[in-house]
Amino acid sequence: MNRSRPLWIALLLIWSLLPMLWQLITSFTSSDALVNADIPFQQRWTLAHYRELLSGDPPFWRYLFNSSLVGGLSTLLTLLLAVPAAYGIARMAPASRRTIRTVVGAAALFPYVLLFLALLELAREFQMGNNLLAIALPYAGLALPLALLLLISAFEGLPNELDDAARLEGLGVVDRLRWVLMPLIAPATASTGILVFLFAWNEYPIALTWLSRDDLLTLPVAMARIAGSSIYAVPYGAYAAATVLGSLPLLALVLLCQRQIVAGLTNGAVKG
Amino acid sequence: MAMVFGWPMLRYSWLSMHASSVLTGLEPVSNQGANWIRLLEDARFWQDAVQTSRFAALSVGLEIVLALAMALLLDQRWRGRGVVRALSLLPWALPTTMMALGWRWIFNTPYGPLEQMAQSAGLSPLNLLSNPDWTWLATVMADVWKTTPFITLLLLAGLQTIPDDLYSAFRLEGGKTRQALTAITLPLLTPYILIGILFRTAQAAGVFDLIQVLTGGGPAGSTESIAQYAYLNAMRFLDFGYSATVMLAGFVLLSLVIFTVAVLLQISGLLRPLKS
Repeated sequence: MNRSRPLWIALLLIWSLLPMLWQLITSFTSSDALVNADIPFQQRWTLAHYRELLSGDPPFWRYLFNSSLVGGLSTLLTLLLAVPAAYGIARMAPASRRTIRTVVGAAALFPYVLLFLALLELAREFQMGNNLLAIALPYAGLALPLALLLLISAFEGLPNELDDAARLEGLGVVDRLRWVLMPLIAPATASTGILVFLFAWNEYPIALTWLSRDDLLTLPVAMARIAGSSIYAVPYGAYAAATVLGSLPLLALVLLCQRQIVAGLTNGAVKG
Repeated sequence: MAMVFGWPMLRYSWLSMHASSVLTGLEPVSNQGANWIRLLEDARFWQDAVQTSRFAALSVGLEIVLALAMALLLDQRWRGRGVVRALSLLPWALPTTMMALGWRWIFNTPYGPLEQMAQSAGLSPLNLLSNPDWTWLATVMADVWKTTPFITLLLLAGLQTIPDDLYSAFRLEGGKTRQALTAITLPLLTPYILIGILFRTAQAAGVFDLIQVLTGGGPAGSTESIAQYAYLNAMRFLDFGYSATVMLAGFVLLSLVIFTVAVLLQISGLLRPLKS
């Protein structure tokens, strides 16, 4: 395999990146050139799609902001709930731990799309539609199972003696968690946070049904709306430009946090 | 969690026994199981069930094989591995809706690149998104592209738990590198593969955004999934009682499938490494 490795790496990169490169090329191609292959090479390129996006109403960065807000908030909320809960669960008797693991695992497996109708009813009941802060609630609820799985494993990896020693020093449970254990599971917390953020950033069915005001849409819904604006002529050029702009934050995140993402899944989800 | 997962299921059970649509002024009225009888006779639901299953089966199968190859490659040590790992993760990190539309452009007739290539090769138009026999394969392809990195990650995690000593010992015993794959790697990786299959089957069975954006369920309903049918019933036909029924039925079918998969794997002895 050693000699053919560069070939395999190249294949992997082509497979992963080619569709995205195509979007990149499309985003700089003028609308005329997209449907007419005969236009000479020099006249095919344009920045019009980007200009259109950024001067649209609402401007495109608005969706990026919405998605970041919702993603950040959901991540924070999930971690606030999951860290103490995981700590509590990890210190339980093995039997009850196994039961909880099974239940949480089943919830993590659940295809959450099937929940959208009932969640929409709740949103109506509590007036939570069209509210970017409120939508973080179902996101946190949906991300909780995976976060718990990852964090329980992380806490189980810490020796009990550490906890006991801190208790002998007279630290209460909150202080122990905050000053002794949290620093130790910081890597696991970080990777869990990234996964939750990605989930919230990409979520579609709930955002689709909860948000309808133009200036409140998250990125996935805004993108789908561009697509749905006309069945016959999707503005592919503008759309590709949106894809490129929308991918940049994620590209940065993934490149920076590759190690944490891999490590997070290494330690967690798969132990149960 | 109880609120987000438990409540909807209870509410669906209740709704599925009631008529709640435009005809009843959107007020739930009990209809003694008429929803369920309608479901049993609803050819469209069963067609969607078949479609969802073949979509899930094929994409999960392909993803596992591809992911295994990718994970083996990304687990070896070579320069630039970190960057390649990150780049190969990208399809999974991007929003599904976003790339679904990208794929729609790639599959586009007659302007997409695939169609252009077929043209210059002298083939007849492929009509990837308007041929009811083939379009579901296009959705599988987009799904495989999008979610393989997730399984790759899982398997990569698994590979890292296998100590290098095992391989050195195997070589000392005179084993060939190629044999190590079947003698050490695959057996020890099995639990991770199973978790991958389980996770992805569940997700693929609930496929919604990808198909909604890529094909809208078409052509001729040939790619419509159960989740999408439930969505249509609720949001377009405003028939909440029946939508709840569809979702509940989808959930029951999925549980059956997962259960069967688990049992089959158990019988075929694949789960044995888990116990030892």
